Parts: sequence; C-alpha cells; structure tokens
Amino acid sequence: MNQIEVIFTLNGKETKISGDPNKTLLDVLRDNLGLTGAKDACGGEGECGACTVIFNGKPVNSCLIFIGQVMGQKITTIEGLSVKGVYHPVQKAFVEAGAVQCGYCTPGAVIAAKALLDRNSQPSDQEIRDGLSGNLCRCTGYNKMVDAVQLAAKEYSNG
Amino acid sequence: MADQSTTIGKTEIRKDAWQKAAGKALYTADIPVENLNYGVVVRSQHHYARILEINKTAALKVPGVLQILTAEDIPGEKIFGPLIPDQPSLAQGVVRHLGEPICLVIAETRIAAQRAKEKINIKYQPLVPVFDPVLAVKSDAPQLHQGGNLVTELNVQDGDVEGGFKEADIVLEEVYYLPRISPGYMEPETSLAVWQEDNMVTVWVSSQHPFTDQGFIAAALDIPISSVRVKSAVIGGAFGGKEDSSLSILAALGAQSIKGALKIVNNRRESFLAHPKRHPAQIKYKLGAKQDGTFTALQVAAYLDTGAYSSYGPAVGMIFSETMTGSYRIPNVKVDTYVVYTNSPISGAMRGFGSPQSHFAVESMVDTMAEALGMDPLKLRDKNILHPGDKVFTGVTINETANSLPDCLENILEIRKRFQAVKPSPGKKAGVGFALGSQTMGLGANVPDDSTHRLEWAPDGRVLIHLGSPDLGQGLATAAEQITAESLGIPFDQVATLELDTLDSPNGNVTCASRMTYMVGNALLDASAKLIQELLEHSSRMLDVPAEKLTYKNGQIHKPDGSSIPAVEFVSRLAEESITLLSESTFSFPYPEETTPKHLPIGMPHVLYCFGAQIARVEIDPELGMIDVTHFAAIHDVGKVINRHGVEGQIEGGVATGLGYALYETMLQKDKGWVDSFTEYLLPTAVDLPPNYQSIILEIPEASGPFGAKGIGEISLVPTAPAVANAVYDAVGVRVTRLPITPERILGFAD
Amino acid sequence: MQGFEYLRPATISELKKDLSTPGARILAGGTDIVPKMRQGIFSAPVLVDTSRLESLDFIEDQGKEVVLGALTTHQKLADSPLIQNVNPALSAAAESVGCVQTRCRGTVGGNIANASPAADTIPPLLVYGAVLHLQSLKEERTLSLEEFINGPGSTELKPGEFIHSVSFTPLQGSWGSVFIKIGKRSGMAISVVNASAMVVLDNDGLISDARIALGAVSPTVKRCRETEKFILGNKPSPELFNNASEICRKEITPITDIRASEKYRIHSAAVLTRRALEQAVEQAWERKS
Repeated sequence: MNQIEVIFTLNGKETKISGDPNKTLLDVLRDNLGLTGAKDACGGEGECGACTVIFNGKPVNSCLIFIGQVMGQKITTIEGLSVKGVYHPVQKAFVEAGAVQCGYCTPGAVIAAKALLDRNSQPSDQEIRDGLSGNLCRCTGYNKMVDAVQLAAKEYSNG
Repeated sequence: MADQSTTIGKTEIRKDAWQKAAGKALYTADIPVENLNYGVVVRSQHHYARILEINKTAALKVPGVLQILTAEDIPGEKIFGPLIPDQPSLAQGVVRHLGEPICLVIAETRIAAQRAKEKINIKYQPLVPVFDPVLAVKSDAPQLHQGGNLVTELNVQDGDVEGGFKEADIVLEEVYYLPRISPGYMEPETSLAVWQEDNMVTVWVSSQHPFTDQGFIAAALDIPISSVRVKSAVIGGAFGGKEDSSLSILAALGAQSIKGALKIVNNRRESFLAHPKRHPAQIKYKLGAKQDGTFTALQVAAYLDTGAYSSYGPAVGMIFSETMTGSYRIPNVKVDTYVVYTNSPISGAMRGFGSPQSHFAVESMVDTMAEALGMDPLKLRDKNILHPGDKVFTGVTINETANSLPDCLENILEIRKRFQAVKPSPGKKAGVGFALGSQTMGLGANVPDDSTHRLEWAPDGRVLIHLGSPDLGQGLATAAEQITAESLGIPFDQVATLELDTLDSPNGNVTCASRMTYMVGNALLDASAKLIQELLEHSSRMLDVPAEKLTYKNGQIHKPDGSSIPAVEFVSRLAEESITLLSESTFSFPYPEETTPKHLPIGMPHVLYCFGAQIARVEIDPELGMIDVTHFAAIHDVGKVINRHGVEGQIEGGVATGLGYALYETMLQKDKGWVDSFTEYLLPTAVDLPPNYQSIILEIPEASGPFGAKGIGEISLVPTAPAVANAVYDAVGVRVTRLPITPERILGFAD
Repeated sequence: MQGFEYLRPATISELKKDLSTPGARILAGGTDIVPKMRQGIFSAPVLVDTSRLESLDFIEDQGKEVVLGALTTHQKLADSPLIQNVNPALSAAAESVGCVQTRCRGTVGGNIANASPAADTIPPLLVYGAVLHLQSLKEERTLSLEEFINGPGSTELKPGEFIHSVSFTPLQGSWGSVFIKIGKRSGMAISVVNASAMVVLDNDGLISDARIALGAVSPTVKRCRETEKFILGNKPSPELFNNASEICRKEITPITDIRASEKYRIHSAAVLTRRALEQAVEQAWERKS
C-alpha cells in the first residue's frame, strides 16, 4: 500500500508521521503518537464526538479525517490543553462542577467546550447545549457539563 | 456521627476526574503494552444457521496473521453464562443470533487481522429464525436450545385474584410493549490479555465483576484460577451491560494460543449486535379498583425476550415480576412471567433490571385508572401507596423507606402546579404527567452476596482502599473514600483507592443492583473499626500502655496523659517491623431469617426497596406529533447523601437514559439485520434534554445502610418513561402503550 | 479496506489534472467519504484531497449573484451575515446540519455532490434556482442544481469533473425564504422531512413568485411545481396554503424506512409546506413595510 508522509503541528510541536493514507487522525494519535485521550465510541462514524480535537481553531471529529488532510495544519488534542501540568479552565471546571463520571466522553466534551468558549466566551445555556450536541454522554445527562462550561466562562471573562 | 460529619454529604471532588479531564486516564484500549497483537472477531452473518464449514486457508496466508481460533481450539470450557451456561465463546456448529462470535483472528496488526477476517469463508445452512417470544414458546417454533425456548417461567401469586376482580367496580386491561434498548455506555467492550513466560495470563477488562471473568477465563483456558490475573482498567460506563463477560475470555484464549499479548476492541456495531441489551417486554396488565380508588386485584402475564442466550434473563424476570405492583398496596396479585429464547441479540442486565419495563405498565395503567374513576391521578396514588409495615405480594414487608412516598407526592403536587402554570408556546399543546417508581436493592434471597473490601494504612500516611468491586464511572471509589475518611476521622484527601487486581484485591462481588455504596460502605465502616482496633493494639504494645487506656480520634492516638501521637508514626514503625496495618471486612446483604419469605425460587424476593417520583412537562406540536420535554423534576429518597455531586449525577444521568427510553431509543430490525449504529440508534444529546431541570433529594435513613445511605443508581430512570407518557396523554389525549413515544405514535400513524 | 493513492493538488489546474486519473475521486470535508471508505462501503484507487485549495473556500457577493465556493463549510455558511441576509433559508439549513464538529468539516459542494434526498442545504439552494459551476480538464460548464441531481447519490458529475462553485441570485422586493426540518431528535438530526419555501409578493400583496422544495420525500430533493403554480398570482391566505399543502402531497413519493413511514412523511411534508409558506409570507410582509 502507498504510504504517505504528513507533517503537521500537534499541540504546538512540529510532528511528522508516515502511514497508510487510509488511516485517520484518530488512528495516528492513538496508535502512533501515544495520545490516547481522544476516544472512539461510535466506530469512526462521527456520531459521538469522543474523538474531538481542535483543527485550526475548530472542533472536529478526528475519526472523520484522513491523515493526508492534516498536512500543514494545526491540531490541538486534550493532551495539549494543559500546559506544564496546569489545567485549562475548562478542564478544571469539568472536574469541579461534577461533569466527569466515567470520563470516556470527557476529553471530547472538554475540547468541544473549549472551542465553543474560544468562539463565544459568554454563551447562554442553550448555546452551550448546541455546542455540546455532537458529544454523546450516557452518564451525566449533560446538566453538569452545562454548569461546567458556565463556570469556565466566568474564568474566561475574569481573564 | 452524621451530625458532625466532615465529609459525608459534601461534594468532594472525585480523584480520578483530573486524569480523565486531562485525557490521561487509561481505559483498557489505552494501556500501552509491548509487542501487542490484535484480535478481530469473525461474527455470524445470520440470525440462525448451521455452520457447515469454516475455511481458514486463504486467511492464514495473509501476512502478519498468527492464528485463527475456532471453538475446536478452546482447550477448556467452550461455553459460559452468568446464570445458565448456555453461551459458546465461539460458535459450535450453530449460530443463534446475528453477530455471534465464530472465529478469533489474531494478527500482528489490526489491518492484517481485518484483511484475514474478510478472507475467512464460512458456509452456512440458514435456519428459520424466531423473534417473537410469544411465538417462540409455541411447540411448532424452532427450538434454539435443548429443553426448548422457555428459559424461566415465574409465577408469583398472593391472595384471591378472581375474588379481587369481583370486588372491583372497574377492571381495566392493557398490553404494553417495551423495546430492545442498549446500555449505551460510551466505551465499547475491550479486553487486553498478556501471556507471561511463567504461564500466567494477565487480563485487563472493562467489567463489572473481574472475579467472574477470572473464573470463566481459567475454565476456558483449562488452567488454574491462580494462573489468571484480572485487572480492572478505568471503565467507560457499564450500566449493567458489563456484568456479562465475553471479550475477556477470547482475549485470554488468544494470548494463550500465541503465547503473547493480544487486544480485542469491539466496534460500536459489534457492541450493538453481540452485547446484552435491555429485555424487550410484552406486558398484559389487568388492574381492578373500587369506585373510591382502592386497588383490589392485579393480574399480569408478561414475556421477556432474552435473545439467543440467557445472560441475566432469569434474574431480570424476577425484579421485573416483583416490581409489577410498583409502589402500591394491591391485596390480590397474580404475576406470570415468561423469559424466552429467540434469535434476537442477547438481553441481559441493564440499569433498572426489569423495573423500567414493569413501571411503564404500572404507572401508565394507574393514570388510565384514575381517568376511568374520574379521580386526580395524584389522589389515586395517595390512596394506594405503600406504607411502612405493608406486605407486598412477594411477602416482603416494606420498611420506613415507604415514608418517602407521601413526601414524593407532596413534592409532585407543588411542582405540578408550577409546571401547569407555564403557558404553552404558540401552536403547541402542553401537558404535565408524573409517575412513581420503585426499585429493589440486592441480588435476591439465597443468592450469595458477600462483598469484601480491605483497608491499608500506608507508611506515607495515606489510607488505601483495596476495593473489591470496580468503580464503573459512577463514583463508587469516591463514596468509599468519603465513608472511610469519615469513619477514621481523617481528611478525604488522605484516602485513596487502588484499582482492582484479582491478585491483590478482595472479592467485593459484582458492581450492580443499586447496592454498592451500601455494601462497600458497610464493609468499610466495619473495616475502619477493625483498623482502629489493630492500631490501638500495636500502639499499646509500642507505648507499653494498656490498649483500653488509649483512644483513637481523627488520625491520632491519644494517651492517658492527654498527649497524642499521629497514627502514621505507628504505621511507619510497623513498616520497619515489616508489618502492614490492614483490616478486611465482608458485608453480606441482609436477608433476615425471620422476615424473608421462603416460598419463592432462589433469587427472590428482594427485600430492600428504593422509591422516587418524577414529573415532566411536555409540549407537543399537535400537527407533527413532535414532543419537547420542557420541564422535568426528579424526587428520590437516597437514605443519606454521601457525595452530593455523585447523587445528583446518578439522578441526572438516569433521567437522561430514561428520556432516551421514553422518546428515542429502540434497536429495530432493519433490512436483514438490526439497527446497530449511533446514526440510527439515537441517544439523547445535550439539546434533547429538558433545559428546566431539578433534582429533589430526600433523606430518610435506611437503618441498615452506611450513615443511612441506600441505592440510587437504577431507580433514577424507572419513573421517567411513564411520567412522559402520562404528560403526553395530558397534552393531547393519546395514550401511547409502546415505547418509544414517537410522533408517529402520537398521530396514530404507528401502533 | 482497500489501499489507494493519495493526491494533494495545490492549484485548480493540478486538481483538474489529478482528477483526470482513472478512478480518481474527490475528497472534500470527508464527513461522508471517510467512514464509508473505512467500512469498505466505498472505495477508489485514487483519492484527491482538496485541503490545499483555499481558493474554493469563499462566500462572495458579486452584485447580481452570490457565489459559494464548493469548499465552503456548513459552519461558515451558517455564520455568514451575508447568507443570513440574502438566503435565510440556506443559513438555517446549514446551521441544522449535524453538529458543530461535522459542520466545521462538511462542505456545501460535498453536500450537493453526495445528492442525498435528505440533504439540508439543497432545498434552500433549489428554491433560489442555484446554478453549479463545474470544471474539468476538458471543459467548464454550468448546470442548474435541479438538473444536476439524478437520484439518491447520483448526479451529472462526469469523471474528472468537480464542483467549483454554486451561485444563486438574491431575491428582490418583498420576499421571504424559510427552511424547516424535522428529525428524530433535536441534536445531530438527520431530516425525516425538510422543506424550503421562498415567496415574493408584488405591490398588491399578491404572490408574484413562489418556490417550494421538499427533502427526504422523493428520490431527489423535490421542487413542487404544481403547488407553486397553484399559489402563484394569489393573495396569501390560510385557505390558499391549506389547499397548497394538499397539492404538494401528490407531488412527492416518499418511502417507509427506519426513520419514518411513507404516510407520516406525506403528512408532515404537507404541514411543513404550509408552515414554510406562511413564514415566508410573514417575512415578505416585514420586508414590505
């Protein structure tokens, strides 16, 4: 099979991978780069949001992206959110608001929430629900996720 | 103690949340292992067929393929099953459901395994399948198992049912239909097994009871149980669906055959087809009442479709039957339940374990009866609710927990007024409906239910919990830590929980049945007392002061002279003597000899109950039938809150799952298969759930519970669907008797 | 899972060349193709990735026309003030596609080329008479969106050809344009039925132009011409739109599938048609005053 080589910026660092073009970004994150924060819950169909990463500032499902499409792009994963052990306000808020239960959907939901706040730092509850509607969660019923995003929004506005 | 509690009832932050939010928590599929190989399961393409031939020749030639296992290659037990051993690890000559495992392909890479899978040629002789449990019990139906398709028949009776109906002024009968739904945990089934040079196998599982996996693995591999080490990784939700074991056996078999490391991960489609679902049910429900509302008799005939293998079907049938009277006094009752094999996907344990099904019938019927009687459904319930000391039809006497029922109704009365005052949106019809719910705790009488846990005071000062049952994500470990911290009078942060490892951990039994905080809490209360006693004895020896003159409080040993020494100093000195300060305790679920009825089959009855109520306001577009749940409140008695966020999370998550059951979820047959993806099997998303939501938590102490606590994990989804159905009826006058309540059902375009 | 060659053209002329390779298929956002290729439902020996073709990602007001580059994402469409102004139906449709993650990847060109009967962006483009600009190594041509789509997943796109852009003419005078959809749930909803309507009122308040397109009720998104004819030249009234919704029932041929029955689709298509027309007229009145 033809291999392709891809260079992109991953969590601020230039990263080079090569592989089968049939691989998705989620595959290489998990299998080649040891970044297992992004999860697969739906079988790579873009139906659960557990693999959400930030792609040039926008939240996307990494299971729906072939590695070739990542060439030259900027990707931030959950592992890139906390800097030197300091948790990102959204991560902190998810923990403190009780929005984490089994945690399998958490990395994707945190990323989606961060992308939302980057776009709209003072969202309404409804806007938060819209922003998280691509992230399935079976444990929390989402209420505490909405609380968490509001909590993080306060931190955003306090700078 | 509870009055001065330092941690009980507070919102302590669960310790695993940080790693989870950082994406660093390791679930089974995330665990890095060297020289890892991949397993892919070849699954049945038929609902029911004889396997004539399995040709592996071409597949074995695919580069990177190491082994292809079939049933013949299993050295030990080829079948397993939690209650009835009826399920082959790999099919033996016949497949009884779509997606049943036939071969395990093992290769160096996932892609190689996948390619080889495509090259395996299986010749089938298709057989005529049966999907309807009512047809399946008939003599002319295809017989899926030796002994026929009727797995269990449960007949529970009390009083004179015929007489009771004669006494009634009104008798109503309705048939309710409940769909097959998925536990829908986000982490699909996964197992990772490593065969070691010492002929031990270590298996990581995402399982509600790693000790069950251990037993099945040892039997299948034909090796001593001591050669099997099962470890619990972080678990991405379970909801009952991970009480069954399956991939762990295959992963271990694979690891044994290649003498190496092997990972198997189900994709979502495999999970849908091959892992247990909530039982679909057909419930014929006949209730009699006097004109004043008093219930006189109940007769139920019900079928549960357990699919191709029994899983927990017989046990689900029990709670399903026992909860048929809901939260009510009904003097004359006859319940007949049939648990039946069909060629459908396996049904087994799922959060609620039969009670969500029974309650859809009970609570829909009570509203229907109220209307027939011209009574407020709240008054009708008030007239019939259970009170402490009442005996239900299984012979069980309900304890003080029934005091929560009037509280529930009072709350409903107030909230109903509030919800009814909300004006409907333009063009919409609004309705408010509610339902009560009951759920039992525990595995049932005469089922061994011992839960053992251990405490260790480590020289670094931390108290470690060797928890014998896995935290599925619901926060069991946090509750255990709070109870331990409270009992020892030490800060919450000083307590930590170890991941379950069968090599070290005691057996805490399966995490299920709304009883984990109760079991673990009781065991740890006792273990804490023992730990203190141990500590006192050692400090007495070290200080040369009689033990009875020393006291322990808040992590300190107090001497008769008023001075105190931190406990950790003794622990460190013990460590120098190579002594570890440990205590272990087993709590057995209580079935008091004198009060537990004995006329029922093993597994019945369940003697402790939880109650709750939920109320929904819906808005319906009368032209399109579209339903919005705009407001929702859930009222639950938890005995005592251990962790507030934890309890709220259990209720909110339960309601969300209940709303999925009410409105969206159903694993329909489609083309030649089943709905098997999240594209068509719809879980509620963040925008589908009511924006106006409230939990009301009641605390009526359970005398036998730790600090008065009892279960909340399951009941939180029990009243949800009937509450919505009753609200829909209130809004548009349509009584939906089948879930999910779809627009088409509201408009009468579908049954 | 088949292997394939992966090409990444940097310019339109490279794209044309790469697409002329036998069996070459274009990869835009990938929200549809990636999972299909992974599951072996779809395969191609050559995949032409359009990631580098930023020149196809634009929304332009060219005066007479608004032009959308084929690689414009749904999210960009939904966020565009221009689209909100000139084609509120399209804006609403784009916003209703999937979830933010898929809207940030899925493109309008991909949605059109995919030719799903339930595609959300097609009805609003159809009622605006959208035209596609197609290019290949051999030729450049334009084709109306309606002519372009043949059936579910089937289009007039020739081998080697790609959608360059989509254009439509903004409405003049007192107009309204509406998109409504119903799904099985609110989040990540796939249309069970969707409807787009546009109306233009003349100075006397009579309907001088009207177009209705319904999705998920026929093999292709369906322009309901009989219904349009019926209301044209009339004064908007509840009765008119009620009768119109009866006519549209006969113009559609829905199927029963896992999402809905034929009967429910016909019923709700009629309701959505009436509502879309009513709302479009309301908008038109607002623009009039």
